[in-house]
Amino acid sequence: MVTEQWVVDEVGKVVPSAIIEATDLHGTGDHFHVRVISQSYEGQRPLQRQRPILAHFKQYIVTNTVHALDLKCMTPDQETALGETKFDPHKGKETEFFGIHIRREKKE
Amino acid sequence: MSFNWTPEELQAIVDEHSIVLFMKGTPEEPRCGFSNRAAKVLQQVGVPFASVNILTDPRAIPSVCAWADFPTMPQIYIHGELIGGSDIALEMYESGELQEMISSEKSN
Repeated sequence: MVTEQWVVDEVGKVVPSAIIEATDLHGTGDHFHVRVISQSYEGQRPLQRQRPILAHFKQYIVTNTVHALDLKCMTPDQETALGETKFDPHKGKETEFFGIHIRREKKE
Repeated sequence: MSFNWTPEELQAIVDEHSIVLFMKGTPEEPRCGFSNRAAKVLQQVGVPFASVNILTDPRAIPSVCAWADFPTMPQIYIHGELIGGSDIALEMYESGELQEMISSEKSN
């Protein structure tokens, strides 16, 4: 189990100039939503943006210290346009939604 | 013939199918919220995709993650290329990049 601050600090080692916000999704210290906002992401595809962070966290993921890292790597412009991005995979039983901006009634 | 999750076998899967989702469970019965989100995004795109349930064999996760150099599940491949996990899939779906990537290379 790790803390939100620990996640922020670890991501900060990889992307020092970024604004970083981590949310412990279940209060269990192993599922995190992480917003990383950095001008350095301009012109990079999403996977390129995540790769260095994932490479650093691999050591914690293989030991299951961190079970899930839901990353949102954005440029400052994207951050302004997108707003809230948090996603909890274990909530949303009534309405079926797979993202903050896409929400649909559950179809039978 | 048995499947041994070798790099050659994994490469063959992503070469053979234009969209491949490695996930926990199946699109009908996902076993993880993030795998569910990835499957939902692909279903929303509306193009048939292949899915591989990596919970069927304990060798699967370490093998796929080492081959891909990507530490988490799910993983999505479009035309043989890893695009990332469910966070990236959703991001690219919302921006339209995912649909564009699927359809543009398909016509080649």
